[in-house]
Amino acid sequence: MSEKKKIACDHCHLEFSEDVMIKDGDHYFCCNGCQGVFHLLSDEGLDSFYEKTKNVKLAPPTQQFEDSKNFDSPAFYDKFVKTDEEGFSRVALVIEGIHCSACVWLNEKALSKMEGVIEANINYTNNKATIVWDDDIVKLSQIVDMIRAIGYNAFPYDPSIQEERANKERKDYYLRMAVAIFATMNIMWVAVAQYAGYFTGIKQDMKTILNIAEWVLATPVLFYSGWIFFRGAYYGLKTKSINMDILVATGATLTYIYSIYITITQSGEAYFDSVSMIITFVLVGKFLEVLSKKSVADALDIMGKDIPNEVQVLKNGETVATKLSEVEVGDIVLVSSGQKALFDGEIVKGEGSFDESSLTGESEPIYKKIGDTVISATVSIDADVQVRVSKDFEHSTLAHLTNLLEESLNKKPRIQQLANKLSEYFSATILTLSVLTFIAWYFSGHSFDRSFMVAIAVIIIACPCALALATPVATLVGLGIAAKRGILFKEAAQLETMAKSDVLLLDKTGTLTQGKPQVVATKRFKEFDEDILASLTKLSNHPIAKGVFNSLELEDFKEVCFTSFKQHPAMGIEAHLGEHRYLGGNKKLLKYFGVDVDYESERSLFFFAVDNEVVTVFELEDVIKEDAKEAIDAIKKRGIEPVMLTGDHKNIAKKVADELGIERYYYELSPEHKAAFVEDMHKQKKIVVMVGDGVNDILALSQADIGIVMGSGSDIAIEVGDVVLLDDSLQSLVQSFKIASTTYRLIKENLLLSLIYNAITIPLAMAGYVIPLVAAISMSLSSLLVVGNSVRIKFSWKKG
Amino acid sequence: MSSGIVGMMLGASLFLGGIALVAFLWGLKSGQFDDEEKFLNAVQFDNDEDYRSAVEAEKKKQKLRAKKQAKEKNYKPE
Repeated sequence: MSEKKKIACDHCHLEFSEDVMIKDGDHYFCCNGCQGVFHLLSDEGLDSFYEKTKNVKLAPPTQQFEDSKNFDSPAFYDKFVKTDEEGFSRVALVIEGIHCSACVWLNEKALSKMEGVIEANINYTNNKATIVWDDDIVKLSQIVDMIRAIGYNAFPYDPSIQEERANKERKDYYLRMAVAIFATMNIMWVAVAQYAGYFTGIKQDMKTILNIAEWVLATPVLFYSGWIFFRGAYYGLKTKSINMDILVATGATLTYIYSIYITITQSGEAYFDSVSMIITFVLVGKFLEVLSKKSVADALDIMGKDIPNEVQVLKNGETVATKLSEVEVGDIVLVSSGQKALFDGEIVKGEGSFDESSLTGESEPIYKKIGDTVISATVSIDADVQVRVSKDFEHSTLAHLTNLLEESLNKKPRIQQLANKLSEYFSATILTLSVLTFIAWYFSGHSFDRSFMVAIAVIIIACPCALALATPVATLVGLGIAAKRGILFKEAAQLETMAKSDVLLLDKTGTLTQGKPQVVATKRFKEFDEDILASLTKLSNHPIAKGVFNSLELEDFKEVCFTSFKQHPAMGIEAHLGEHRYLGGNKKLLKYFGVDVDYESERSLFFFAVDNEVVTVFELEDVIKEDAKEAIDAIKKRGIEPVMLTGDHKNIAKKVADELGIERYYYELSPEHKAAFVEDMHKQKKIVVMVGDGVNDILALSQADIGIVMGSGSDIAIEVGDVVLLDDSLQSLVQSFKIASTTYRLIKENLLLSLIYNAITIPLAMAGYVIPLVAAISMSLSSLLVVGNSVRIKFSWKKG
Repeated sequence: MSSGIVGMMLGASLFLGGIALVAFLWGLKSGQFDDEEKFLNAVQFDNDEDYRSAVEAEKKKQKLRAKKQAKEKNYKPE
């Protein structure tokens, strides 16, 4: 028979040949799952979904679901479900299987049609759903069942309070900026009429009308948008420091009051336009800063994210799901392969390998048997064990690590930014100068009006718009350049801190080296079938086996199905195919099976034996990254001292350090030691940059002034780090230093520009040569100057 | 042009602009701009039926809310 006719499934639109399809009336389905969803949708009146998808291919619904009743457990409710002020329950879920906007539509519709569901809102970008429901009418498990019934799946997701707060703050700024920008733009139009009138003559009553219009517009800007500055000024006064907010707030308020006085007495010029412009410009500068700020505590949330809220405890021969806090010392906890151990204790049954990289940073698994201790925060690779708990959760290593992390995040030093330091002096100086100007003018026989106007002109002209914009604009340019090169700075201020750094601490594994063993030498004793070796190594999760598998150059790989297969922990793999026995592993494995081998090396070895005869051997080693040497040299040239910190042994550490030309290196360090080292450096008044990738580095990363993380590093490390190098390369590290110092130079230039401008204009204003009108115009010019200078850098980087 | 007319024109245009601003602020506050993808994609499925079901959903919400409040009142010891 020739080509069989292919038909598309009516639900998922995947095509299959006709004879495997399920025929149901006029419809064809590829599986029961699709059929079920199709009928459910037509019953619910949601079949217009198919018009909307327009033949987009969907994934057929999977049918083996774990019990959704888990979602109703008190522990789950405790952790993920929040009750809002109206008494409704609220949960955030990530919905899996969304392919197109019609999927979002379907989920929202199906959920909001349910009895008791009040709101179902799904984000198109990240597929996160917020669902609000009445828990008396419908249970969360039923909601999840519905999502699953229509062919999707849902996972709980803990929307961190921090994230919510950051979004709220951002929204608040949006609102204030919208008002400020709207009012300022309109004031500009009115001001055009006024400026024209100033030069060509204008009737007083017309002027008053225009003044009143400006007054109306400037009021919300000052009191609503400018509220942030009043608040900042209040906190500044409370801590007895004169900050920029005080200057902005007093400047704007004085000008506002003066202008009201002018409007009412119908004399002179009102300067409501300056009021709203000062507030708007500085607000935008502040907003740019807020945009590039990260919240400290996010990292703690992610640490807790993969900690389940229940563990399986063995009681009287039965397993019972128990809350973490209810597990007592002496209880027997089950840890199965792939799980993270949550409790410290002793193995009473079972054996297997554990990944202790979160404590040591080394990827080599550790084999544990009955009587050995399991440490919490380590991950079982292939071990199914029963552990007798020796410490409750609060005192476990895992909880200890979380506490330490919290501590060191709080301990993180904040290097004061140049602009902030400057603005303190600046604000104080300007306020004093303007008071002095007023006094000098008033007592040298001028009228109150005239003296006050001159004093106002001093404040307006010195309005720190340019100063406020200098840093945010420069750092924004820096962040943009960095992001294009795959370097993510989480906070703008870090660019400046990084430019000032003296010491660079480097982790070895995963940072200077590839982090996983690679085959560096091979020796073949006899011909063999490579497909068998590949299939054998593919079956193991062990990094050595993975390294061997990756080294095999297979053009046409056909996976072999072994008749039997067995993992020997800490030794290797044994497999049978027909009459042959295949062994892949280390020397211990060969010895165990009585195979003699005479091969020595410093490196890790992987032997492959067919029927007790060794056919090949691989030598594996953690290889240094190609660009490491070059990068270290470039960093040294910048006057930054590289120091290597590793949890590895002396010999390996020395070898790597020598090869890269690193003079100072420290070995066999625990996570706490690394953090202590950072603190030591701080005591010597050094600014420290730390580069790492693993969980064992997080304490040091969080305590260093700047923590740089490789993009392939663990989630928690990425969350803790301040800078992420997406391409993992050390060249990016050098680049980030370069970008940081360029940006810092730009900040200094910008600050200098605005200071020079002020140095020239302030004496003029004090002498009374500058009327506030001209001051307002020149103020905008200085801001433009600063922005222009920053853009110049951006273009010069593009060329270079 | 008398100053009265200028004043009226200013007043009228600022009033209209103010309405637009308030509408924008309302949209911002109620989260209509939170998800830029939704902003673009949800338009595709905008039809009468969805509009009706949105109204129904709103009604349902209010009903549940009222029920909840009534219940809470009953809980309170007199």
